[in-house]
Amino acid sequence: MNRSEEEKTFKDKLRREGVKIALTAISLISFIAVWWLLSIYLNGQNLRYLPAPDVVFSAFIVSLSGDPVTGLPLLSHILASLNRFVWGFAIALIVAVPIGLLMGSSKYARYLGMPVTETLRPIPPLALAGFFFAAFGVLYGPIVTVLYGVFFPVLYNVMFGVRSVDPILMDAARTQGASKLQMFTKVILPFTIPYLMTGISIGMGVGWMVIVAAEWIAAPGGGVGALINQCYSVGIYDYMFVGIIAIAILGILTTSVSRLLEDKVAQRMGMK
Amino acid sequence: MSILSFKNVGKVFSKNGEELVAIHDFDLEVDEGEFVCILGPSGCGKTTLLRMVAGLESISQGSIELNGKAITGPGSDRGMVFQDFGLFPWRNVMKNVEFGLEVKNIPTAKRVEIAQRYVELVGLKGFERSHPKELSGGMKQRVGIARALANDPAVLLMDEPFGALDAQTRNQMQTELLRIWKETKKTVLFVTHSVDEAVFLADRIVVMTARPGSIKDLWDIDLPRPRDRASSKFIALRKEILDELEVQKTGT
Repeated sequence: MNRSEEEKTFKDKLRREGVKIALTAISLISFIAVWWLLSIYLNGQNLRYLPAPDVVFSAFIVSLSGDPVTGLPLLSHILASLNRFVWGFAIALIVAVPIGLLMGSSKYARYLGMPVTETLRPIPPLALAGFFFAAFGVLYGPIVTVLYGVFFPVLYNVMFGVRSVDPILMDAARTQGASKLQMFTKVILPFTIPYLMTGISIGMGVGWMVIVAAEWIAAPGGGVGALINQCYSVGIYDYMFVGIIAIAILGILTTSVSRLLEDKVAQRMGMK
Repeated sequence: MSILSFKNVGKVFSKNGEELVAIHDFDLEVDEGEFVCILGPSGCGKTTLLRMVAGLESISQGSIELNGKAITGPGSDRGMVFQDFGLFPWRNVMKNVEFGLEVKNIPTAKRVEIAQRYVELVGLKGFERSHPKELSGGMKQRVGIARALANDPAVLLMDEPFGALDAQTRNQMQTELLRIWKETKKTVLFVTHSVDEAVFLADRIVVMTARPGSIKDLWDIDLPRPRDRASSKFIALRKEILDELEVQKTGT
């Protein structure tokens, strides 16, 4: 490739990136513009439930040191939600991964486990939230609800991963003299890791939805879901939107982190 | 000296209560260092036969003995090369070749030394850190061969190893394989459905009958190596064997 060609491809790349950035900006700016116009219109009708972006922004600044409804700073709400999320998520992984591996490897484990998992899987976590709160209390109820939501995507992806192991890889390992245990640790486990990562990605999305909604029921020590709910019930909508935006940002952050992780792992495992 | 002997080997598959005889009365002695090609129509059980030697398939009748010991299961004394390579995608070239040594708990330094030797033998120096995804079909099969050889097996079992490659790469790999065979002096059992490939490679060709597979004919190929595909002897031999295969296809 000579110099002018190099310059040309560089310019092409710059142009493509430029177009992408411009369109992203247009998309976000029009979103905020529509929001703004809509709130001006609704406020003119004396409907107060959609505050303008600038009002939400000043509420956000205030809420950093404590909002008027709960009195807690936004960060402590976020940390409270994050804390429940991480616990529920971690326990779900610890339980779901071994069961997934077992159910993937043994058809008897599948015969034994599937009737139960297939019955429970279609039940949305929130339908069971009331039960979890009653059974585990307000402290652990939200954690168990998250656990339930994350459990199934992880379990099913791990199980699917084990069952997808290319039989020729098993043959290759056997002809190389691998024992049953070595086939598990050196073939089945590494093969399953990208599938586990997909399960984690899906589980993260589910986990966030579940935690906010679970905190509507009760959230001692605060939580973003609690903030949204309490602001709603007293009709202070600007602070309610602060909570909503906090959740959106956290959601975007966690999904991009897990996607990045999923990609990196897949790359490292030579799958991509 | 015979190293591998098939004694009245038979294979019966049972499916839904029905019995299907895949291989029947297969008798063969393979000499140490010999290059034997097993040739036959598809479905004749040649791959099954190889998998039985590898220990991946049970033996229904008779026995297969390696160095006088009956084969009962898989083991690293037989190296297998697969048509679809069967490389571990998450391992790089070195780590793929090291697999069997790792399984045997050979210390890292020794393992790396052995693997490096075989990686170089198959001509992959410089690609040690590449992952299978980054390699061409021919290079993937070079890794497959190195991995099989790294265990220093008594026999090398090859199941249509070049079947997934384009014609040009295929010819190139055949020449490469002969070089590797010469350097390692391994006994090779090579399954193919290509007469051309068999005549180019083999010391001896075993032509199998259609199902149930057994030996139809044995051909000693005493053409000097390197063999010239365009020579009249090569062409004549290829035609003769091809005709024999054709006869059994049409059944006349």
